[in-house]
Amino acid sequence: MPDTRHRLPVVQPDAEPGTPGRRQFLASAARLSTGALAFFAFERAEAGSNPAPAAKRSSGEYNWDEHRWTYLIDTTKCIGCGSCVRACKAENGVPDGFYRTWVERYVVGTEKSFVDSPEGGLNGFPSVQVDFHASKAFFVPKMCNHCAATPCTQVCPVGASYRTKDGVVLVDGKRCIGCAYCVQACPFGSRFLSPVTHTAEKCTWCYHRITKGLRPACVEVCPTQTRLFGDMKREDDPVRKIIETERVEILQAHLLTEPQCYYLHLDKEVR
Amino acid sequence: MEHARHVFRVALLLIAGLAVVSIGRTLLVPPSFGLYGPYRHDNVAEQMKVREPAHAGPAACGECHEKEFKKRASGKHKAVSCEVCHAPKAFHVRADGSMEAMPIDRSYTLCARCHRKIPGRPAKFPQVVLEQHLNGPPEGEACLQCHDAHSPAM
Repeated sequence: MPDTRHRLPVVQPDAEPGTPGRRQFLASAARLSTGALAFFAFERAEAGSNPAPAAKRSSGEYNWDEHRWTYLIDTTKCIGCGSCVRACKAENGVPDGFYRTWVERYVVGTEKSFVDSPEGGLNGFPSVQVDFHASKAFFVPKMCNHCAATPCTQVCPVGASYRTKDGVVLVDGKRCIGCAYCVQACPFGSRFLSPVTHTAEKCTWCYHRITKGLRPACVEVCPTQTRLFGDMKREDDPVRKIIETERVEILQAHLLTEPQCYYLHLDKEVR
Repeated sequence: MEHARHVFRVALLLIAGLAVVSIGRTLLVPPSFGLYGPYRHDNVAEQMKVREPAHAGPAACGECHEKEFKKRASGKHKAVSCEVCHAPKAFHVRADGSMEAMPIDRSYTLCARCHRKIPGRPAKFPQVVLEQHLNGPPEGEACLQCHDAHSPAM
């Protein structure tokens, strides 16, 4: 038998006394890793066993489980006055030259179309001459679509962009490192890097207002009810009713970002 | 026993590594991070009180300016919030209760922002070609000479 052992190097003797063999090493390794696993499991359990502050944080008076905010824009009603853009700026202190919401004007003919948005529509729109026969013209308010499957939160490398349970996409300014990946990821151009804070900023649907029972500032000031704000979790909500029963559209549906801003009477020219 | 020291060294290194990771994690990851997803949940509460609402709505204006409030509510501008033509209430009444004069824009440009006839406005919305509507080029407070901003129908 000893001869065979020497000829088959694969079957080495387990261990000479005092030398850790493979079996012993594996056993030690197993013990160590079990210990490490137990250590991390304990750590996680400790972190998880503290849910009280979480409940307190999300409730207070406002409970985000009771709401699913939504937004509706009727493009046939917009007069392009820019009140919404000014209200947004005043309400949220949006830096000059940047817009959390803006209004676009489409002047459309059968062969050509013209789009403008001077200063985001902040001071209204001037008259315009186009070098083609325009058969229709309309205004389209734009803003963050608060997409349910949004690319902007997916690309954030530090977890600064997120979507709340009540359906609002927000930016944590304390975590944002200003890399602007989200600015590039947004297909609607709804985000910008603030020259003041050097972090990404965007429409929050006036989260500081809607959590107090108020409407977003743009909806509050819209003189033609072009902009409407609703709650999909309220059964008697008029906006929810329109979204449920009428033919609403979303921007860039082919991107599958599931926008939560709905449009009535959108034109094919609008992207 | 000589080779057992290798195992101990590896074990020590492993434990030290785990300790560094664990301490680093505790120090670097904010407390509420990951509660509801890969974000700092504390920020939701911070966003709720990031600032006080600036716009208060017409009812709040009506508390002091009853005459104008009633006139507006019964006229053609009933759907136009006071804060559209004036400014958010927060610019006028500060959080501490102190007052600041409300800026009042009496220029024709304020009216023109909604009522100048330009491509894009819905046909049924009241609009005027300023140059034809007025006697002469639009300037100054031309609109207010005939119209009352709070109830503009004549």
